[in-house]
Amino acid sequence: ARQLHGKRRPYRATDLARYMYDEKMTPQDALKKWRGEEDLDEEMEENIEEDDDTFFHRSGKDADVETGEDRYIPRFDYKDLAAKWSAEDSLEMLRKRFATANLLDENDGG
Amino acid sequence: MADQKTQFLRFKGHRGFTQRLVLSTLTGKPIIIDEIRSNISSTHTGLAPHEVSFIRLLESVTNGSLFDLSRTSTRLAYQPGLITGTVPGVNASAAGDVIEHTIEERNTRGISYFLIPLALLAPFSKAHMNVRFSGPGVITSATHGTGDISVDTFRTAVLPLYGLFGIPPARIELRVLSRSCPGPHGVGGGGVVEMRFASQVRLPKTLHLNRRPGRIRRIRGVAYCTGVSASHNARMISAARGVLNPLVSDVHVAAQYDPAPLVGDTKTGGKKKIGIGFGLSLVAESSADGVLYAADVVAPPGGMVVPEDIGTQCAYQLLEVIAQGGCVSAASASTVLTLMAMGSEDVGRLRLGREVLGREETIKLARDLKTFGASSWGIREVDDEADETGDFIISVKGTGVGNVGRKVA
Repeated sequence: ARQLHGKRRPYRATDLARYMYDEKMTPQDALKKWRGEEDLDEEMEENIEEDDDTFFHRSGKDADVETGEDRYIPRFDYKDLAAKWSAEDSLEMLRKRFATANLLDENDGG
Repeated sequence: MADQKTQFLRFKGHRGFTQRLVLSTLTGKPIIIDEIRSNISSTHTGLAPHEVSFIRLLESVTNGSLFDLSRTSTRLAYQPGLITGTVPGVNASAAGDVIEHTIEERNTRGISYFLIPLALLAPFSKAHMNVRFSGPGVITSATHGTGDISVDTFRTAVLPLYGLFGIPPARIELRVLSRSCPGPHGVGGGGVVEMRFASQVRLPKTLHLNRRPGRIRRIRGVAYCTGVSASHNARMISAARGVLNPLVSDVHVAAQYDPAPLVGDTKTGGKKKIGIGFGLSLVAESSADGVLYAADVVAPPGGMVVPEDIGTQCAYQLLEVIAQGGCVSAASASTVLTLMAMGSEDVGRLRLGREVLGREETIKLARDLKTFGASSWGIREVDDEADETGDFIISVKGTGVGNVGRKVA
C-alpha cells in the first residue's frame, strides 16, 4: 500500500539511471529508492539496526566479515523458495519459460 | 602515458575488490583503494587472505605491476603493469608452461573468486594464460558462507559466454585435477584446478543479447561428493529431478565422486583430510543462444543437512534464477557487462532481469566502470507489448581497450 502512496512508480528505468550514478547515495539506498521500498525515516532506522548488528559482531569472537562481502550467488531464503515453487500457480507462471512438450516445442527460435 | 603516473583513481571500501583491480589492469589506470575494512572490526581490518592471494596472482600474471600496501593494509595503491600471461622461465618454470599459484589455508573463498577475474584478464593477455591453483586453500565447490559459484558452474555457465564475444571457448580449458569442498568452518580446502586460457584476442566484440531469453530446453548439472558416500550424488540428483522433471524432461546431472584431498598439517607434520562435503551445480540452457541460468548449492561446512535438501534447494534456486529472467543470471552478469564495457567501441545491448540489475554488485560495477572512464549505461524497459516480465535492456558502449600486448606484436 505504501508503494501506491509514493510519488513515483517503483522500478522505473529512468529512476535507476539517475540513482545509479548518484555517488551521494550508497548502492543499497539507491536500490531501495528504486524499488520504492522505504522512505528516508525507515532507512535511518534500518541503518541504526545495522549498526547494532556490527556492534554485536564486533564483540563476537569470530568476526562475520562475510556479511559485507561480494557474492556471486545471491542469498536466498530456501524456506520461502520452497513455499513459492511448490505452489501450483507459480509453477504454471514459470512453465511458459520452458520448452516442454507442448505446442511450442519446435518453433521457439528465441 | 606520462600523466598516468601521477593520476590515481580513488576508491573506498573492500567491496568489489577484484573487480576494481581487474578494471585498473585492463584500462591501465592506477588506483588507490582506501578504508579497506577499516571500520568493520579491530581484528579483521585490512585485506583478507583471499584478497592478498589475488594480489599475488595479479602480480604473477602481469609485468611491472606495483602494489603499495599501508602498514595496516587498509590502503592499497596499485599501478598496473602489462598483462603478460604465462611466460616460461619468467613466471612459470622453464620446462612447464603453467603458473603455479598457491592459495594459503586461511582462504574462505571458492576458487571461482579467482577464476572469474582471471578469466576477464586472460583475453587481453599477451601470451596464453595458464594458471594452476593448488595449495591448502583451494575450494573447488561452491561456498556456503561467501556465496561463490563452483568450478562446474564457472565452466558450464560462465566460460561459454566468452564465445559470444568472439573469444572461442574451445581454447579455454578448465581442468579440475582434485576436488575439494570447504574445510572446517569454511576455511581452506585441498583442490587443484588448472585453467588454460589460450584464446587471446585483439579486441573482443560486443554482444547483443536483447531479444527474448527463449525457453529452457534442458538442464545439465554436476553433483559432487568429496570424502562422503557416493550415494549422496544419487540422492541429490533424484531430489532435484523431483522438482525439475515436471517442467523439463531433459535433465541430465553428472555424478562426480572423489575421495577427500590430503593436505599437510602444519601442526602435526602429518597429513589430514580436508574439504569433505557435497554439493550440486545446475545449469539451465535456453533455446536462445548463450542464455544460461545457473544455480549452486553446497552443504554447509558444519554438516547437518541431508542430500535431498541440497538437491531440492538447488532446484528451487534454479527456478528462482530462471524466474528472475533476463539473458544472464547474477553469477555471470559482471563478466558479461565488464567484457562489453572493455570491448570494441560499439554499443552492445543486454537484457537483464529486474532482480539481477537491482543488485548492489551491479550498481557498484556501473559506478566503478564510470570512474574508470567508461560511458554510463543506458537503461530502458523492454518495450514489447506481449511482455510482462519487467526486464530491462542495458546498453553498454565499449571503450575499445583491447589488447595492449597484441598491439605491439
